[in-house]
Formats: sequence, C-alpha cells, structure tokens
Amino acid sequence: MKTDRSRRAKLALYGLLCLLAVPFVFPTWWMVTSSLKPANEIFAFPPSLFPSDPSLAAYGRVFEFAPFAQQYFNSMYIAAVVTVGTLAVSSLAGYAFARIRFPGHNALFLVILVGLLIPSEVTIVPLFQMFNAWGLIDTHWPLLLVPIFGAPSVLATLIMRQFFIALPVEIEEAGRMDGLGRFALYARIALPLSRPALGAVAIFSFLHSWNLYLEPVVFLSTPEKFTLPQALTQFVDAYGGPMWDVQLSAATMSALPVLIVFVVAQRQFVEGLAHTGIKG
Amino acid sequence: MRITRRTMVAAAAASPLALASCGGESGDDGPVTLRMTIWSANEDHLALLDGIADDYLADHPEVEAIEFDPLPFEGYTSTLTTQIAGDNAPDLAWILENSAPDFVTTGALAPLGDKLSGTDGYELDDLVPAATDLWRHEDELYAYPFSTSPFAMFVNTDLLAQVGQPTASELIASGEWTWERAVEAGAAVGAQTDADGIVIRDFDYAGWDNLSTLWTGWDARPWSEDGTECGFAEPEMVEALGFMHEAVFEHQAMPGPGTTADFFAGEAAMTVTQISRAGLLEDGSFAWELVPLPAGPAGEYSVIGQAGIGVLAVAPHPEHAADFLAFMTGPENSEKLAQFFPPPRQSQLTAEVLGQANPLLSDEQLQAVVIDRIDDGVVKPSHTGQAQIDQAVRAALDPLWTPDADVEGVLTEVCAAIDPFLAQ
Amino acid sequence: MSRADVDTAASGRRTRRPDGPRPRRGWTARRREVAAGYLFVAPQLLGTVLFVLVPLALVFWYSFHEWNVLVGSFEFTGAANYERLASDPALPGVLGATATFSVGLVVLNLSLALALAVLLNQKLRGTIVFRTLFFSPVAVTLVAWTIVWRFLLQDDGGVNGLLTALGTEGPNWLRRETTAMIAVIVVQVLKNVGLNMVLFLAALQGVPQELYEASMLDGAGRWTRFRRVTVPMISPTILLTSIITVVGSLQVFAQIDVLTSGGPGTSTTVLVYYLYQNAFQFHDFGYGATLSVLLFAIVLVLTVVQWQMRRKWVVHED
Repeated sequence: MKTDRSRRAKLALYGLLCLLAVPFVFPTWWMVTSSLKPANEIFAFPPSLFPSDPSLAAYGRVFEFAPFAQQYFNSMYIAAVVTVGTLAVSSLAGYAFARIRFPGHNALFLVILVGLLIPSEVTIVPLFQMFNAWGLIDTHWPLLLVPIFGAPSVLATLIMRQFFIALPVEIEEAGRMDGLGRFALYARIALPLSRPALGAVAIFSFLHSWNLYLEPVVFLSTPEKFTLPQALTQFVDAYGGPMWDVQLSAATMSALPVLIVFVVAQRQFVEGLAHTGIKG
Repeated sequence: MRITRRTMVAAAAASPLALASCGGESGDDGPVTLRMTIWSANEDHLALLDGIADDYLADHPEVEAIEFDPLPFEGYTSTLTTQIAGDNAPDLAWILENSAPDFVTTGALAPLGDKLSGTDGYELDDLVPAATDLWRHEDELYAYPFSTSPFAMFVNTDLLAQVGQPTASELIASGEWTWERAVEAGAAVGAQTDADGIVIRDFDYAGWDNLSTLWTGWDARPWSEDGTECGFAEPEMVEALGFMHEAVFEHQAMPGPGTTADFFAGEAAMTVTQISRAGLLEDGSFAWELVPLPAGPAGEYSVIGQAGIGVLAVAPHPEHAADFLAFMTGPENSEKLAQFFPPPRQSQLTAEVLGQANPLLSDEQLQAVVIDRIDDGVVKPSHTGQAQIDQAVRAALDPLWTPDADVEGVLTEVCAAIDPFLAQ
Repeated sequence: MSRADVDTAASGRRTRRPDGPRPRRGWTARRREVAAGYLFVAPQLLGTVLFVLVPLALVFWYSFHEWNVLVGSFEFTGAANYERLASDPALPGVLGATATFSVGLVVLNLSLALALAVLLNQKLRGTIVFRTLFFSPVAVTLVAWTIVWRFLLQDDGGVNGLLTALGTEGPNWLRRETTAMIAVIVVQVLKNVGLNMVLFLAALQGVPQELYEASMLDGAGRWTRFRRVTVPMISPTILLTSIITVVGSLQVFAQIDVLTSGGPGTSTTVLVYYLYQNAFQFHDFGYGATLSVLLFAIVLVLTVVQWQMRRKWVVHED
C-alpha cells in the first residue's frame, strides 16, 4: 500500500521535473541540432526536432571564416587567468574582512561593495579612456585586470567573506598556538578548508569571463585577439546577414566545455558547498 | 574644452600608477599607421581592401600600414562612438546610411571636397548627384558613398506559377506592375501555399525606414524636405500605410509581426531588397526574376540604399587618411570596389561593370533596375538626431501593427512623438 | 620578524593580565595584525579604486557636462542634465518598466530556484541528470540563448506551435506589452536560475538532519517544517542570492536588446537600456552619465536596505 503510494508520488515527481526541464533544455537542443542542419532548414516552421540530413559542414566553416581556434584559446586562457587571479584576490580580501580586525575594516568593506553595484555599461567609457591613456587598447589587459581586481571580483570577495565568517574560529586556534602568522593561518588552515567556497567563486568568475561581451567588443579590434562571444557575431555573409548555421556551430562549441566541466564537477561542487555551506 | 576632459582622464589614469607609460601621440615625424573601421568581416571584402591598401603603401613610404577593423554590424555606430569618446578614433570609417546626418552635419567628419577635386584624375564630377546628396552639408562633401544600391523586387516565379498568377515581367509588359497587383499575387500565394506573400526585407516591424520603399510610391515622406515638418499624418502617408495595413491584416499578403519568412530560402513569393543580395540565390533552388519596384498611385519611383566612407575630424592622421580615401575611391579602385558595392560613378554605372559584381543578373535586369533608376533614386529617410527619431517612430508605430488599429490616429501620435526632435 | 617573535608575542598575550600594563610585545602583534589586514585587502582595494571609484567619479563629473561625441562638444552645464532628468517625460515609464522587470525577475528567479532545489534535494535516482539539465542554460552564451528564444517566441514560433498542439492559441508574445515583459523576464530567469538553484541546493544539504527530526517529533507538517526549519537555516544563502539577483536584474541589457529592443512601444525599456540608448545610440554621453548616476543611486539604496534587513531575519550572521 505504502510503497504503491510513494511510487506514484515518485512518478508524479519525475513527470513534474521532466515537464519543468523542457524550457531549459529545448533551446540548447535546438541550437545543437540546428547547427547540423543546412542554413535554410534552420528557421523552418514548425521547428524540427532532428535534422533531416545532419552534416558537420558548418563546423568546418567556423574555422575557415575566422581564426576560431585562436579565439577559442583566447577565451580559455583569459577565463583561466581571471579565475585564478580572482581566487587569490578575493580569498585574501574575504579572509581579512572576515577575520582580521583592523581600523576601518567595515568602511573599507562598504567601499569595495560599491563595485558590486555597477553595471559595466556605466563605467565602460571612462575605463576605455583610462586604458587608452595607458596604451592598452586592443590588448587583453583590460579583460584580465578589470575582472580580477575590479567590480566583478567583488562578488567573489563577498562570497569568501561570508564563508570565512561561518568558519569556526577555534579551527585556527591551534595554528595560532603553533605560532603561525596571519598569512600562514590563511594559507595553511583557512584556504584548504574553503575549497567549496573557492569552487563557487571559480564557477562564477569563469562564467563571467567566458560570457563577457560588451568589454571585448569595445576594447579589442584585431580578430586574432577576439574572444568567443565577440567572435560569434562575426559570422556574417557579405551583406551583414548572420550565417546561422555557422553561428550556431560556433555557439555550440563555445557552450560545450562549460557543460562538460559542470557535468564532471557538479557532484563535488554541490556537495562540497553543502559540507560547510555558504553561510549567507 | 576637450583638453580639459583628456587632462582629467589622464590625471585619473596616471595618479594611481605613477609609472603609467606611453600616452601622448607622437608627432607626424615617422611613418604613420592608418586605421579604418568597417562592419564587414567578410573575407573577400577584406582581401579586396587589403589589396588596395598594399597598392597604396607601395607608393607611399610615409604610411607604414593600413589596418581594417571589422566591428560587429549590430551596434557598429555605438562601438565607433565609444572609440571616439575614448580618444581612440579611427582615421577612416564606414558610415551607415541612417547615421549619415549625425556624422555629416555635426562636424564629426573632415571635409573632403578640396582633397578630392585636387587629386589628379579623380573626376569628382563623375559622382551621381543623387548619390552624394546625403553626404553633403552646406555644399561640402563629407563622405564618399562607396555603396549606392537601388532597392528592387525579387520574385519567386515558381510560387506565382503554382497559384496561377502572372509573373512580374508579364505585368510589366502589360503595364500593370503596381503595388495593387503585387499584393493580389502575394495574397494568392499566402492563401494557397505554405509560403508568405511579400516581404519588405529588414523591416521586421522595427526597421521602419525600410518602408520608404513602399510609401515613396504614394509620394509620402516622413518629414518635409527641410526636416522641420512631420509628414506621417499627411494624407499620402495615411493612405500608404493604410494600404500596407490592409495588405498585412486583411489580405494576408505580407507576413504579420513576429513572423519570419526568408525569400531566399523559398519562403516568400516576393521581397523588396537591394540587388546585391542576389548573391544569396547562388544555390538556386527555385526560378526567380528581378524587377523594379512596383508603381504606386503616384507612379514609378526608386529608392536607393547607401553606405559612405569618411575621415574622422578627430582622426590621428587626417591628412594621410584623406589622401588614402582619394586613392581608394578614384576611378580605378572604384571599379574594383564595384565587385561588391555598386559605385556612385556615372561612368561605371554600366551593365558591364555591375555585371561582374552580380553575375547572376542579366544586363537587361541591371539596366532596368539599377542604371535607369539611380539618377532619380530617393535615399532612405534620415535626419539629424536620427537615432532618437528612429527610436521614437519605432515605439509610436508599434500600435499600428494590430488588426484593428486606427491608422490615422496612430500616425498622428507618431507626429506628436517626433515633433520635438524635428523642431530642434 | 622571526618566528620566535611571534611565539613570544602570542604567549605574551595569553599570559597577559587584564589589569596589568599593556605588554609592548602584544602591541607589536596587534600592529602586525593590522598590517596583515591592510596587505590582504590591498589588491582588491586598489583595484576598486582604480577600476570602480575613479571611473565612477569621472561619470559623476561627466554628468555635469553637455558631451556630444560626434559634435565634439564638451561643456560644463552645471545641473542642467539633472533638471532634464527631473522633467524627462520618458523617465516615469522607464522606471515603471524597471520596477516591474526587477520585481518579476527576482520573485520568479528566487522562488523557482528554491523550488527546484527542494525538489532535487530528495533522495531520488537521476537528480544529477536533472541538476545538469536545469544548470545547462548557464553554460550557453547569453546572446545565443536569447536569439534562440526570440525565434521560439515568434508568432509562428515553437512556443505557439506547442500551444496549438495542446489545443490553445498563444499570443504574439514579443508584440504585446504585457506578454513581452513576461517573456523577457522568463527567458532571463531560465538562463540564470540554475546558479541560484545550485547555491540553494548546497545550503539545503547543510541543514542538519536532526533539526528536521526534532520538528517531526513536534508533529510539524511539511510546510511548517519548510517555514520553521529550512528557511531560517538557509536564510544567509537567501540573502546572498537575493542581493546578487536584485543587482543583476538592474543590469540586464543584451537580452532586452535582442528580444524586444525595448518595445513594443517603450514597454520593456528598463533604465540600463535607456541609459545605453542615450549614451551610445543618441551620442549624448552627458545625459547617459546622469542616468548612470541615477541607476547607481537606485542600486545603492536597494542593497543597503537588503544589507540592513539581514540583521532582522538572517539567522547566523556575526
């Protein structure tokens, strides 16, 4: 009796989840399958679920039309450097704001929080002027420096601070007894314990860098230096009309690594977060 | 005052990093590098431009390199203005037709007249007046219209035959090629097949300036010649857009808002667009023809679309840039550019020159659609402060695209929305 | 300083008597502590000054100028831009749209994220698959995601095709004011709700099982348990996600540009889009800067309010 009811409840739950998943999955499915269709079939109505005659031709053309491999590498290495840099900057700052009492730490924290509040459209013009004055236009420096040290890393600092606040002080007491200095306490005790929070920060900053659109468009002008989101808009025919099959192939390729990383790492990620929990 | 802003930014930029390097433009001593922004990332276009640049560099040691910067077509003008605002203006830039007045009348571009008329063998008089109108301000030329392409009607004759409608050339032969008849044919296709009727390409119920390819047949115009009086509420416009409203919602001869139909994929019977799009028909899965726009109540007419190239007033090397522009757009190179962009030069408006760019089109088609029509062509509407007007018209026109819209009422609202901008 | 110094400093502190004179060594330790604090925050602080505060100050300064990039004009006009702001006939509509959009987005995003997290926090086969599915839009490039949805939301697009198959008729989503706003919100929520879901999931797994058991002994029902146990225990995460989501909702730009360009009419023209239009399309950087200042002020106030509220309902804040 009871198992019967719980089985029915389970079935209903699966049904609900499947239904909910449709709007999440269908666009991606459409993107991937359409990239295998010939251009004139993509916008056919009604939209077809499977390509009638799948072909990888558009994928080859992605590399013909643009230095796509180079652009892929650019996005990869920029996102990687930004992720590592953000982890360092934000864990240091987050640790200090959570653990160390120094004059003005509250005020300074509020100052830094300002960075959380600013859309990139607001500061793009002055930032462009400043980087221009430094001779850094059409280089990757703005895409590295601003996310690591500027507004985007503030969220990371906030996450790290909240995490360290929740970490029991007693854990560090032993290290203190052993005479560890602040940096040693941070590096040898606090940091190893903060893997889950670092994981969250890594995902946030990687995705942020990976998806950045306005900044590369504004700061970069040489196709060899472009990043992926910017490169996607460059697949146009001679009249400025988008080449959909090529754009969708490129978009599919740009989504894959993130999806794969999540599939592989999500269990550690979620469970890691859960073990200590991001306490607010 | 610009200097104040620059100083301020420089100070702001320098203070935290005392060692801030670089900065200051070097004088004009050494060889210069010219930079030109374009919106095409097409390889063939870039190869052509690089070729012209190489020819120029061979004879001009004072110029070290010429870079072509492809910016995304979406947001092209915004990115360009961001670069200008950031004190990093290119030397030359392609200018979109709808931002022409903003660039031409504001002093954003350097005057070209003296340079071009002073260049040997340039033949400035060869430029068709109808083509340069948009790029002039107070008798001075500010940009060269490197692409001047008339709008025409592409017709899918397979679809028309399928529903038993005469082809456009048959209607032209019998003198019946009018919007009235075109809509009739479009309605028949819309009713009897899966395809749609007539598509005004790139309109998509937002890019309203493309509708000038229709309303010019009614002699309607969005504003008066001098740009001060709104023309949307005038009887001609009310009639023209009323006609279109009926075509969309009553006859279903045009796809409604939020429906895409691509003529070039065989999804529509006819489309209004520029002839250069003929290249999209290369694969040729259906029979088609190219004809001039149908006549409206006010008779025959033509509309041309343009793109210009100019030298920025704040360019790092305006003189070198102007010299290169004169080289690039002279008779010889203009003929090369004609491979992709119909030239504004009278002497090159021949079926022969245009034919090399459009191998799919016959000499007769080019003669009828381009050469005979370019002289009296009307350019798409544009006005100083176009971006604001564009936005205001788009927003105010939205209510028109519902089945029971009050056409005259909506158009009166459009005028109310743009009057403040026209008055400026 | 050497390791030995620290050692004595630490021991000195431990043996210190409250009424005794402050030992000199302890003072040094305190000073080192302070120095460490400043050093630790220095990179972030310098970055904030350089890449946030200085640009912000410049924007503030620009807002007192008439700056037309094309004309090349840059003139001090005092408060003229602010007077224009106060009398801008378009602004009330823009602020209204912004409020509707943000409230809709935040409420839908947070409640859906929490609901999904609760559903997927059960002991059930296949939850990993579903987690990945709900998270997958996060991995898709924003512009690609939005373009696909624009296609699906067309009058004859996939959504209405589905509705027709189910026997009802859908509206022309992006062409009507109400449905366009709903569409923009939903598309944005679908894109990003996965991130919040993961954060909630993590928080839920951190709730000690004993608390549930205790409340079950008290005879609490599912809903009561959720309200009395779950919500308070995960309140810090709720605060974090709501701050991120509120701030993010005021920065949504590319999605609106692709889906509706602020229309129909001006119904989806939110503040950041209006700012973009003025600065980058109308070349009016001065007024754009003024709108930036307004946007900044709004975000600032909202965040301060949320931050203050945390003391009220966030359970284990320091």
